Amino acid sequence: MPKVRARLLVAFLPLFVLANLPITNAQRSAIDTYAITNARVVTVSGPVIDRGTVVIRNGLIAAAGANVTAPPDARVIDGTGLTIYPGLIDSYTNLGLPEAAASPSPAGGGGGGAFLLLAQQQRPAAGPNSTQPAGLQPEVMVEEVIRPGGNEIEAARNIGITTALTLPRSGIWLGQSALINLAGDTPQQMIVRSPVAMHVGFTPLRAGGYPGSLMGVFAQLRQMMLDAQRYRDSLQIYERSPRGVRRPETDRSLAALIPVLEGRMPVVMLANSEREITRALDLGVEFKLKLIIAGGREAESVADRLVKQSVPVLLSLNLPRRTTAALPEADPEPMRVLRERVEAQETAGKLAKAGVRFGFESGSITNLSDLMANVNKTIENGLQQADALRAFTIWPAEILGVQNQLGSIEVGKIANLTVTRGDLFDRNVRVAHVFIDGHPVDLRPPTGGGGAGRNSLSGAWSVNVNLGAGDRTMTLTLQQEGERLSGSIAGALGTGEISNGSASNTGEVQFTATVNVEGQTKEATFTGRLANNEIRGSVAIVGMTPGTFTATKPN
Amino acid sequence: MKRLLLLIIVTAISATAAFAQSAPETLIRNATVLTITHGTLANTDVLLRNGKIAAVGKNLNASPNARVIDATGKFVMPGIIDCHSHSMLDTINEGTLAVTSMVRTRDVLNTTDVDLYRELAGGVTTLNLLHGSANPIGGLNTVVKIKWGRPASEFLFPGAMPGIKFALGENVKRSSSPNLPGVQRRYPNTRMGVEEVIRDAFTRARDYKRTWDEYREASKKDKNLIPPRRDLQLEPLVEVLEGKRYVHAHCYITSEILMLISLADEFGFKVKTFQHVLEGYKVAKEIAAHGAGASIFADSWGYKIEAYDAIPYNAAILTRAGVVVSMNSDSDERARRLNIEAAKAMHWGDLTEEQALKLVTLNPAIQLGIQERVGSIDVGKDADVAIWNAHPFSVYARVDTTFIDGEVFFDRQQDLARRPELSKERASLEQAEPNRPRAQGPSPQGPRRRPSKHEDDDMEIEKP
Repeated sequence: MPKVRARLLVAFLPLFVLANLPITNAQRSAIDTYAITNARVVTVSGPVIDRGTVVIRNGLIAAAGANVTAPPDARVIDGTGLTIYPGLIDSYTNLGLPEAAASPSPAGGGGGGAFLLLAQQQRPAAGPNSTQPAGLQPEVMVEEVIRPGGNEIEAARNIGITTALTLPRSGIWLGQSALINLAGDTPQQMIVRSPVAMHVGFTPLRAGGYPGSLMGVFAQLRQMMLDAQRYRDSLQIYERSPRGVRRPETDRSLAALIPVLEGRMPVVMLANSEREITRALDLGVEFKLKLIIAGGREAESVADRLVKQSVPVLLSLNLPRRTTAALPEADPEPMRVLRERVEAQETAGKLAKAGVRFGFESGSITNLSDLMANVNKTIENGLQQADALRAFTIWPAEILGVQNQLGSIEVGKIANLTVTRGDLFDRNVRVAHVFIDGHPVDLRPPTGGGGAGRNSLSGAWSVNVNLGAGDRTMTLTLQQEGERLSGSIAGALGTGEISNGSASNTGEVQFTATVNVEGQTKEATFTGRLANNEIRGSVAIVGMTPGTFTATKPN
Repeated sequence: MKRLLLLIIVTAISATAAFAQSAPETLIRNATVLTITHGTLANTDVLLRNGKIAAVGKNLNASPNARVIDATGKFVMPGIIDCHSHSMLDTINEGTLAVTSMVRTRDVLNTTDVDLYRELAGGVTTLNLLHGSANPIGGLNTVVKIKWGRPASEFLFPGAMPGIKFALGENVKRSSSPNLPGVQRRYPNTRMGVEEVIRDAFTRARDYKRTWDEYREASKKDKNLIPPRRDLQLEPLVEVLEGKRYVHAHCYITSEILMLISLADEFGFKVKTFQHVLEGYKVAKEIAAHGAGASIFADSWGYKIEAYDAIPYNAAILTRAGVVVSMNSDSDERARRLNIEAAKAMHWGDLTEEQALKLVTLNPAIQLGIQERVGSIDVGKDADVAIWNAHPFSVYARVDTTFIDGEVFFDRQQDLARRPELSKERASLEQAEPNRPRAQGPSPQGPRRRPSKHEDDDMEIEKP
């Protein structure tokens, strides 16, 4: 085993370059047959082979079994004490996307210039000649902007993830995702399938344009789907007899929605709470969509509907937890919030029992022990261990339509393998080898720095709100996942959940909260910017002079 | 085969029986019943059966398995209806555009909002959930029964008239927003502009309807016609023009009230309610002539320029002019004591007890088109009632039990009985792993309090 690794290490290259290019073209052509012998093989599709061999040839699994012998031309890896799993699939990520301007990618280069430029302007991806503003462009394809390499891809591989569904970062119509293998020199080599699905994020536009609220988001989603139906019908009428019919204007945004409306392309909606999932399900029924739920924290509470509508879930392993102690003068957290955190650990088990199809997604966790600790929490709370493995492998493969290529150790499937020392769900598991497309990838010990800045808004904040008559103090509890911001606010202006929350990669923060001012229930929109562990900005309330707020995070 | 058929029938019958049992029969005995429509009845029984008020009278009989509540010394009142609420809305305003008739409060219901439970504890059973007042034409309303604990779909009030929020005046023209350099203000900025925005929207809606009518006619002959675009912004306005959707218009001063009446007359629709309408008493005759209702505060005023001319006699003057008047909350907090808001109208302006009670029961029901279902204690109406321990116009009155469709959604004794168990659950939840903060350090510091420059101006600061 150390021999193989030694061959992969190209001496004298700076480490970060090596990290981005674990396999050179020369090596790729030189070796394409591997055999891992004497290992425990967890095929997922069949019984566990206690002592067997897996042969990889030409990027595919050539043989797997107890009585398989390594071919003479194979590079043999002694798998004694190791366990071979199908490569893990992370079913909802932003891997391979250009990083935000605030933290420039060390990888650099590559395609997606237009995308990167817009990302630097803190706006969602925008296609040229679109009829829609950025954030409402279903025609955006992640395939066109992904790039190989980068710290995030490496961090994912380090924890045994070989394949990821990746989608654009922000917007309402986020665009179309791709399933990528987390190795390859070019985007083209990485892509397993594209497009996989259309994605809806429900996050209102931040720039002040319509739609600026969740209500508007739903209205605009509806309007665009109705427009797309009409666009399809118009095209059909026109094609039937163009003579005498006025030519419908071409519209790439609406054209991209036609496969969605015809059920040929699934649509993944990000929804965590019971009401978010219910709204997504309602919209799915309204437009007869082939729906998939991503996030799914409270999915068990609508399990019967998920089964009835046969909607699968991409379940986040980023389990909610209280991040910091509450402020001494803060209202106690509602029981519902305390319950939800506990019940989130039971969701996976309950979904499995109810017969809801689901696959795990990491929810941007990049630390293997954190991820596996959370998987273990779901196992302790009712999920069968075998199902936990399926939720990382064959189930997401089925949901994403690649069950003939990925998700199990079967002859002819893509040779994505995660090889561990110790059981995958053991506290002391270590990833020994990762094979992607039949090639070993270089693994580095986790540095612990991966994605550190990403959840920087999560936690409790002390807020001073000034609406013109002195400071009122509030406690703001935030939870950030990607660009989405959820949480609650409590204090002098009442207590409640925040909504419409979002945060850009460059520190722009926006959310709304229901407050009580002068005896009336009002909606306050907080818009601010994060700098030096402090959010400063303005508070807009309809009918009142705008105020200011400052939020500080006690360290 | 016959046997199978019989089996199906028997199953169907037992299924119906099971359904009926889900709203158990309840006999409320010997209460003072505030019927709203036929006076106050002393020592009277009310029978709730199959979700309806089955009988009102003396010495009623119930089936043996009915729950019997001895309400001696207690008061039974119809569930209170709040004609202006923003409870259970995850978001209230879509303020980016001047006309947002395409957005729906129905899409953002949050059934876990604890304000709902507090409102049940105040005897409230029905809410008119309105979009905010950020724009001249706002979003669509949702009328709900507070079926706390149920899915959002069960909250929807069956058969309630669809409505839409309009808004006039300062909020809409953004009087309070400062002019910031480089920031484009959203049109309109004056009351003239507000009128123009509404007129323009209805002109477009009229054209839109004509376009569709013409298409429907022409497509009978020509199958190759491309249909017009469906426009979710204009469809609700067409419904307003056709009288199928109620307009609930937030307003304050006489000029804008008269403006909307004349604009509505011009386009041939009715304003169903003027909301807040603090200067309504000045144009009570005009409002009555238009046939509009008024949904107001009892005595809340002076909180902005357009609210300076309010008087607490508004309810009485409007009522005597023949306007259907309701008292609303516009507040998750005030919504818990709308009974007291109604009581104030007896003090200010000498409304009768029944007139005052109507302000939070039958009148808002009329304003929402649900008066055949709720708003009074009449046989055949929905069993949406609350039992009070004293006359609801007393400040000492408390709700014992709130029924919706015959089911209990709030019960004071049950609530009290659950509290020890809940605090035990809280203690154990606080100890659960996901609720223990990972950091073991001390609690974070409290927020800094910045000294104010003008202590005199700090009237509004909350008391410690």
